[in-house]
Amino acid sequence: MSLSPNEAADALRDIAAVETRSHRLYGYRQGSPHLILWGVLWAIGYGLNEPWPQQGRAIWSALVAIGLVGGFLIVLRSHAQRANRTGAKPRIYWRFPAIALTGLAFVFASIAVMGPAGGRQIGAFIPLVVAAGYAVMGFWLGLRFTIAGAVLAALTLVGFFLLPAHFSPWMAVVGGGTLMLSGFWLRTA
Amino acid sequence: VEQPDAIIHQPVRLKIMAALKALPRGEQLEFVRLKAIVNATEGNLGAHIGTLESAGYVKVEKDFNGKKPRTRVSLADAGARAYADYVAYLRSILDGEGVPIHAD
Repeated sequence: MSLSPNEAADALRDIAAVETRSHRLYGYRQGSPHLILWGVLWAIGYGLNEPWPQQGRAIWSALVAIGLVGGFLIVLRSHAQRANRTGAKPRIYWRFPAIALTGLAFVFASIAVMGPAGGRQIGAFIPLVVAAGYAVMGFWLGLRFTIAGAVLAALTLVGFFLLPAHFSPWMAVVGGGTLMLSGFWLRTA
Repeated sequence: VEQPDAIIHQPVRLKIMAALKALPRGEQLEFVRLKAIVNATEGNLGAHIGTLESAGYVKVEKDFNGKKPRTRVSLADAGARAYADYVAYLRSILDGEGVPIHAD
């Protein structure tokens, strides 16, 4: 039952390819609920922003808080299920809050440095940062993240430059819709 | 490692182990996804998972997702060790010959 060096090399290539594919599908499965959650929140946020632009800050503060807590619970649930199966001790899950806080700090610092910015500019800037984040994630976790980020960025720019009078409803339907559809698309992989 | 593990040596079973090893410890993979990853037929995959489960290399959990039956598979600690040993065996063959490996 011994193998030749060529057979061993083929076997290692095969398992490397399978590990890569399995890891990619795992990343898609983990990312999917986050995209769907934020898609729903974007649809609500931009949708409410249109009739009540003066309440934009309060609306978005509440939605971002919901998104961060929801995202953290999604991560926590996944870790807890794994820990139950392996009998592992509870850990401190610091990465998700750390990433979220870093992202928020970057966005607020950028707006402060580049300001004064209008609501439409901020409403386009944040989706572009998010889109870039997904695109970069895709370089490690799989092409579908990159495609979702590229589509989101392109549609945000279309809304900003070509439909300035209808930017908020555009982002509610198209931006939120893109995130939700991307989330469902990841689940089908 | 002088002789390969006869259970993992079979190509489909090796792929099943590789797919499960790529996940965080304790993470499960649904049967349908595993089928797509290792590119096996349902019957073939089921038989190989049975062999791995009998050897204590994988854990199989069957339940219902709504009304649909669902089978999920995860790597057991014994399976993780056996897989690591098998990969070491493959590398030892190459180390003797100096053949380079490049994963696509």
